[in-house]
Amino acid sequence: MELIKQFVFSFMSTIGFAVLFSSPKKSVVYAGLVGAIGWMFYYITFAMMNSYVASTFFGALTVGLLGELFARKYKKPATLYITAGIIPLVPGAGAYYTMLYLIENEFSLAATKGVETFFIAAAISMGIIISSIFSKSIKRVRQKD
Amino acid sequence: MTNLNEIEREEVKKLLVLATLAGRLMLKAGAETYRVEDTVMRICQSRKDIQYVDAFVIPTGIFISLEYKGELISYIKRVKNISIDLNKIALVNEFSRTFVSSHMSIEDGIREIKRINKIHIYSNFTQAFFGAIASSFFCLLFQGTSMDFIAAFVVSFIVSFLLSFVSSLKLSFFIDKFIASVFISILSYLFIKLGIGNSLDKVIIGAIMPLVPGVAITNAIRDTMSGDFMSGLSRGMEAVFSALAIAFGVGIVLIFFIGGY
Repeated sequence: MELIKQFVFSFMSTIGFAVLFSSPKKSVVYAGLVGAIGWMFYYITFAMMNSYVASTFFGALTVGLLGELFARKYKKPATLYITAGIIPLVPGAGAYYTMLYLIENEFSLAATKGVETFFIAAAISMGIIISSIFSKSIKRVRQKD
Repeated sequence: MTNLNEIEREEVKKLLVLATLAGRLMLKAGAETYRVEDTVMRICQSRKDIQYVDAFVIPTGIFISLEYKGELISYIKRVKNISIDLNKIALVNEFSRTFVSSHMSIEDGIREIKRINKIHIYSNFTQAFFGAIASSFFCLLFQGTSMDFIAAFVVSFIVSFLLSFVSSLKLSFFIDKFIASVFISILSYLFIKLGIGNSLDKVIIGAIMPLVPGVAITNAIRDTMSGDFMSGLSRGMEAVFSALAIAFGVGIVLIFFIGGY
């Protein structure tokens, strides 16, 4: 039940962002799917490993791979799906709590949260880069044939 | 069309302008650096007699130079105000492919780019509505209650109109985000006081989500990791200062209302 809820919430919020980023009408729903499935991977791996950074990495990797897949299928740049798809993973809450701790003069907590936020952002980029390497190598193999 | 070998110097200049316009359009729509460089170079190399092309793209400008019959021609274009528009990226991408593979004339190409530049597929209202949906569901994703959901929706909806008004004044991205986040926190606080919404944190987190520079951060790190250090730095600065603007905006209001700790 909780899983279905999480899926619907992340799907809707990714769709919202897809429209906010003016993505073409046809790709809005696919972007939503990419975001929701990426978030599911994040959610499940987080339940397994209890690490924000690692699970964000897996979530972003899923988003990247799915984005590349849709990009190949519909002959559109992968950014269309990836840009909105990573949004649920973006550490907005982490940034907020970093700021809140700074206001409360809790500098060590702020540093912990800030570093974690930065590493989550880095994990997202790593996931996307690795997935794009995958797709490039697939392309190269196909061109050789 | 048949005598591609004889395109004259003027034509080459126009081609360069076309490539720059296409590149600028993509860059303004928030495309990745490598994609813009790729598109610009592909457009330039698509016509014959151009021996050497190189493009250097950073988020704040495009520099291209090409060699035509032993003569070097270059073009520089400054880029300001990046706002993400994925539809334009897709359209320019498609355009560059058709331009390269067909014998489309350069004038037609420039006209097509100008047409793409004017396209806005969603109205302000639709974007505000979907932005509000994004915020409110994001709030639920972080275990907000249904009351938080309503508060985040309304706050985000109001603020996105405010934001589009403020950004039409062309102040600076920092001021825009600062003002927007000040209003987000004030409105969220009011909603909580009125009894709509249970947790101030969650409403604010949801409502600031459209302002959070998530795309800028990930693109910055991506650019840096793939060797585009200048773009990485430039986007990184944008991301850091956007985050600071939001933090200042929210922070000031929270200190004011809740009182410094």
